[in-house]
Amino acid sequence: MSEPLLRTEGLTQHFRVGKLFSRQRLHAVDDVSFEIGRGEIVALVGESGSGKSTIARLLARVYKATAGDIYFEGKRVSTLRTRRQRLGYAGDVAMVFQDPYSSINPAYRITHPIERGIVLHRRDVARRRRENEVEKTLGTVGLVPAGRVAGKFPHELSGGQRQRVGFAAALAGKPKLIVADEPVSMLDVSIRIGVLNLMSELREREGLSFLYITHDVASARYVADRVLVLYAGHLVEEGPAEDVLQRPKHPYTQLLLSAVPDPRAALGISDAADVGEPPKVIDPKEGCRFRDRCPFAIAECETVTPQLREIGPRRRVACHVAEPDV
Amino acid sequence: MTLPSVADSVEPAGATVGSGPPEEATRRGAGADVFRAVAHNRKALVGLGLLLFFGVLAVFPGQIAPDDPRAKIYPRGLGPSVHHLFGTTAYGEDVFSQLVFGTRQSVLIALAVGGLATVIAVIVGVSAGYLGGKTDGVLSLITDVILVIPIFPLIIVIAAYERNSGFFTLVIVLGALGWSYGARQLRSQTLSLRRRDFLEAAVVRGERKRYVIVHEILPTMTSLILASFLGAALYAVLFAAGLQFIGLGDPNSQSWGTMLYWAENNEALGAGMAYWAIMPGVCVALLGAAFALLNYAFDEISSPALRLRKLERAGVDAERATAVLAVSPDPKNILEVRGLSVAYASEHGPVVAVDDVSFDLRRGEFLGIVGESACGKSTLVYAIARLLGAPLAGEITDGQVLFKGRDMVTLSDKQLRHIRWRDYSVVMQSAMNALNPVLTVAAQMRDACEAHSTMNKRQIEERSREVLRLVSIDPVHLHSYPHQLSGGMRQRAMIAMALLFTPELIIMDEPTSALDVVGQRSLMVQIKELQEQLGFAVVFVTHDMSLVRHFSDRLLVMYAAQVAELGRTAQLFRKPLHPYTDGLLEAFPSIHGPKEHLLGIPGSPPDLLRPPAGCRFAPRCPHVFARCTAERPRLLEVDGELVRCFLHDQPVVPVVEAKEGVA
Repeated sequence: MSEPLLRTEGLTQHFRVGKLFSRQRLHAVDDVSFEIGRGEIVALVGESGSGKSTIARLLARVYKATAGDIYFEGKRVSTLRTRRQRLGYAGDVAMVFQDPYSSINPAYRITHPIERGIVLHRRDVARRRRENEVEKTLGTVGLVPAGRVAGKFPHELSGGQRQRVGFAAALAGKPKLIVADEPVSMLDVSIRIGVLNLMSELREREGLSFLYITHDVASARYVADRVLVLYAGHLVEEGPAEDVLQRPKHPYTQLLLSAVPDPRAALGISDAADVGEPPKVIDPKEGCRFRDRCPFAIAECETVTPQLREIGPRRRVACHVAEPDV
Repeated sequence: MTLPSVADSVEPAGATVGSGPPEEATRRGAGADVFRAVAHNRKALVGLGLLLFFGVLAVFPGQIAPDDPRAKIYPRGLGPSVHHLFGTTAYGEDVFSQLVFGTRQSVLIALAVGGLATVIAVIVGVSAGYLGGKTDGVLSLITDVILVIPIFPLIIVIAAYERNSGFFTLVIVLGALGWSYGARQLRSQTLSLRRRDFLEAAVVRGERKRYVIVHEILPTMTSLILASFLGAALYAVLFAAGLQFIGLGDPNSQSWGTMLYWAENNEALGAGMAYWAIMPGVCVALLGAAFALLNYAFDEISSPALRLRKLERAGVDAERATAVLAVSPDPKNILEVRGLSVAYASEHGPVVAVDDVSFDLRRGEFLGIVGESACGKSTLVYAIARLLGAPLAGEITDGQVLFKGRDMVTLSDKQLRHIRWRDYSVVMQSAMNALNPVLTVAAQMRDACEAHSTMNKRQIEERSREVLRLVSIDPVHLHSYPHQLSGGMRQRAMIAMALLFTPELIIMDEPTSALDVVGQRSLMVQIKELQEQLGFAVVFVTHDMSLVRHFSDRLLVMYAAQVAELGRTAQLFRKPLHPYTDGLLEAFPSIHGPKEHLLGIPGSPPDLLRPPAGCRFAPRCPHVFARCTAERPRLLEVDGELVRCFLHDQPVVPVVEAKEGVA
């Protein structure tokens, strides 16, 4: 297979926690390996605290990984040294943030981050053509008439519009991959779909790849080609979206799916008896991190950390118990 | 329901539980806005006027003063007269002329010290806040040390060493010691900015550190920097005058402080030259006042919450309830809301956040109130619970809330205290904000019990354990602090507290929205089980229709402050009557069945300051026709449900009251 757009190998991020001389470490992300293909939308699904935002920030180089590597177009990202190399990566991998109310600087017009993206990453765009380019970008994300929107300050826009500005800012540097960290979770229900559709359109039109980070499984199914399920810093399941969500293999994925409120489905109150919560992973021992909530746990789960294993075409699960489809 | 000029993310409900919007409120960019705000602010106008006055004196003393301030040509110690407005000095100089010529130095010292101190404060404060780590440690230490040094004695020592210190010595000494307060404020502001995503966005974009500090952080802090400048200027005026007064300045300089020094040396007050001694002091006070007033004014301008006046009732244009409010309540209903309207004051006039809402709630019924942010759903339940108050003072402008037959709207605070918590209780959106972080769960339950009952210590402890067990929390957590509990447990603890007195009604404002799907689901199940077990009625506010699908008996869909649809949950899901409800249902992707392309609802909710003339949903409605934009639809009864839509306006008699039973 040819080299994917982005690939991580054993990506790991630990944070020091506790008091001054504490040696305790929070394992936010542990040994995570995945790929994102060109023009692919990959959903990273998990609850809060599962490490999904940490992965976003690792990809965006806000954090330096404790261990493991990111390869972008085959190049190891940790070897990027010069300002030019780093800027190049920043141009290729952009990010959309969760909170549209805090991700745009209130002191500037909304065109500011878009303009900066162009200034930093598209030096071929002459100064006098910049304004033009900014308006074109606004049009791409459906903010029209661009000329009028361009003069506004963030507080003059609604949440949905601001999130579109967030996408426009990400697009400004002509990236190849956009890491979207819960881009719709703070938006009103009626406008979420619009933003999800925007991601699909951008993929179709511009050939962009997305890492769509979310806790909302239904939206992941709606927009993504492939799904990665994260639990307590471990990747526990991955595969084509439809496959994972219709035939979940990992007991956690099954629990997650059973909890999704689905107005069209009948209610089974009894299936939601689980009151457990994801563990805080501080200095963990070996073993499956889901074992205390898992109805199928066996002795091995206490002692051996399950590794991702192939159970079907492009389908992997990290569980001692899960069986492939027969 | 939010103040439209302020960021629309903030629901007043959030403000009520303590996560207020002042930070959002500081967002204003357009210069025109600032100009208008200044023009309407009396403090700013007076401050600017004073500053302008002294500014003119400082620039053109020669043209204004009648005499050379040093010309000792008049009789000594004259009283005030037409020729000598404030008399003459013991040396025969004109006091008025000296005052005029002295202005320049005070103003210059203020500007120079203000500028120097602000530059240092910005560099130190912002670097400490943004760079963090060791840099922050060292810079903060220096700042704190300077902050606790008794400045006046130190300055006296320094100034005495540099005897007859002139202008530059003064500026440098005052500037070097006057920045610490501003630096502290700027540092903490930077720290809070550091968590804002736009800084991270700039870093991800590839900006350099210097750019982030200068172009992303500083522009958002202009009002604070200005405040720091004004504060330092004020301090400089007072300290410079003080130093010169005790003789540590250059006795030959022309300044108000030096005038005071000479007046004091000649015992001017006792010798009939009172104005010589008093007027420089008055000038110092006035110039200081100018800076202080401007400082206050910019504080007010940058946080509108400080200057919102009380709602002007006359301006409120709520649609009057047409129902006969004299109808006596039905004893089967625990709650009857009739024609309730709530308005907020805003800079641009009153905003009607709840517009003529009526519904009944049976005993033991579960009513879901659904709508998007700013549709008025939270305001509605806060009005019902009589929890509208500062800081975003909403006011009930019309209607009745009959709880067990009594009109809650007219109850006094004291009467409310008797029934709140005992007969009805409220569970807030964010337990982290609603719970007191420094008290254990047990202590908070004890406070509630002591305030609302006569239980003794043992009974309270017992009851607390009991309610915790009800919500499946191990009673050992009674002595935990809120931060020691997980998000789901905190939310459960809140519900346990609401159950302390087994109320008949519990109002819940998005109690699950801070939780993950799994926790959300299990909390919903728990609430439903408790309700079946204990029989209380629930009003449940949420933005997520699918969440209450299986738990609520009836649903009230709100759009733009009004009831769009009210009906039995099952029927509403099966056959939504209002296009908005339909759109909401279509906005959820499903995890089952075929994958469909969804469209959501185009556009966004209207600005409640200027709601559309006809139907408020018309601009986003796929079925809109001529009548929708011309006329306001009323609530119509269709198949026993209520809907506000002309599509259903067949030859049916319109009704206003929600009077139908429960499924």
